[in-house]
Amino acid sequence: MVSKRAAKLVAIGVIVAGTLVAESKREYHFSVGPRAGVSVMNPYGSISVKPSLNNTVVVNAILHSDKVEIDNNQNGNRVDIQSHLLAGADSDSGRVDYEVLVPADASVTLHSSTGSLRAEKLHGDVSLEGAGAAVDVRDVSDAHVHVKTMNGAVNLDNIQNGHVEVDSLSGDVTLRSVTGPLVQVVSTSGRINYFGDFGNSGEYRLTSHSGDIEATIPEWTSADVSARSVRGEVHDDIPLQPKNHTWFPIDKGRAFAGTMGRVAVSSTVVLRSFSGKIHLRKRSEKQ
Amino acid sequence: MNCVELHQSLAEVEDGGSVERLAHLRACPACSALVRDLNQIAAAASRLQAADEPSPRVWNSIEVALRQEGLIRLQRAGRPLITTFSRWGAARWLVPAAAMLLLALGISVRRELRPNPSAQQASVAVPVANPSDLNDDDLRQEIANNTPEIKTLYEENLRQVNDSIRDAQGVVDETPNDEDARRSLMDAYQQKAMLFELAMDHSAE
Repeated sequence: MVSKRAAKLVAIGVIVAGTLVAESKREYHFSVGPRAGVSVMNPYGSISVKPSLNNTVVVNAILHSDKVEIDNNQNGNRVDIQSHLLAGADSDSGRVDYEVLVPADASVTLHSSTGSLRAEKLHGDVSLEGAGAAVDVRDVSDAHVHVKTMNGAVNLDNIQNGHVEVDSLSGDVTLRSVTGPLVQVVSTSGRINYFGDFGNSGEYRLTSHSGDIEATIPEWTSADVSARSVRGEVHDDIPLQPKNHTWFPIDKGRAFAGTMGRVAVSSTVVLRSFSGKIHLRKRSEKQ
Repeated sequence: MNCVELHQSLAEVEDGGSVERLAHLRACPACSALVRDLNQIAAAASRLQAADEPSPRVWNSIEVALRQEGLIRLQRAGRPLITTFSRWGAARWLVPAAAMLLLALGISVRRELRPNPSAQQASVAVPVANPSDLNDDDLRQEIANNTPEIKTLYEENLRQVNDSIRDAQGVVDETPNDEDARRSLMDAYQQKAMLFELAMDHSAE
């Protein structure tokens, strides 16, 4: 009995030790100027980007095996990091997890197929692309935020004065307090949720093919709203001032259009789906 | 001129057609079928209303994708590509469709240029004429070396985007004047183009 337990413990110890030996850490530092460009390409694994305290780019990487290495290159004000898969690497052994610190005004481009992508507290442009990567961007201002994913969930939180474009095939997209001159989401089958007030004088286009679209807004929102689902239903909990002219027929239950709040500062909001449901909801006090 | 050179010459949007190109088209049924498909798209595009101009974002995405693939070159100063396309009137709709074709063509040409020791094939895979399943096999080739999970992911999304194209195309056929249905169809094609982009980026990593 004792010998069996001992054998188990030894086996666990060997596995843990093997894992620890296989994992390794790397750290790279780069000095950059204002508005640097930083690119991280990582086939397998997560990438998280946060602001650094000075004009340096710090890359902390955890490599999950010796079948992957990191290529790094600085060319002037641009830093390129790439996980380089070696022969025999797969999604486990080729995995690298990155934590990257960049100057807050840096432009950041991140690619990962399977790991999560995260960027926060930046005011440079952010471009994130991943096949199955979950994407999380928060506290970004005065910047372009471009996201492309296949089925990863996309969460954007507190993006101010952003030029936001999200393309998702089947992942759900959630926007909270996202405002700016252009906020555009296109999805094939993913659900689109917007929580916020549509800012001032921006253009908001939420489009899905079969995914539902739900916008939850406070009653004091100023917006010129039009919504139509070709084959799905539309619901509107907020009384809108009807418009005299619309570019589509207002079939009850399939479309609505109207204005709310102060026209002078109103944003243009277009909610469009082919077969998904569209719901414009009034925000409750709790939300 | 061979098939690959002809495919590359298709990106020369201002080229009316050289003697070599015409000679090759006469001799090569595959390439002549391809050019015929492009002409059919152009004809279909001319039936769309000029008012339905795609957003600037569409042009930007197409331009970036075509440049990345090396299918177009930098334009002369003061003459942006978007302006060039905008002068085409109703046929502007040709460009997104053609861009889809050219992107897929890029993959096809790239694949052709890769050494293939198992066969000395001279023929070039011709993209499928039907836009609703445009070059799906090329996309599959592009992701062939990925893990089964990734391949499944692409297959599932390819199926979804093809379904969405079919759905929208059905309504456009029933009600050609439904602007939202047409936009849905355009969006569906854009989504498919994005899937190709992701696959190409993925294979390049």
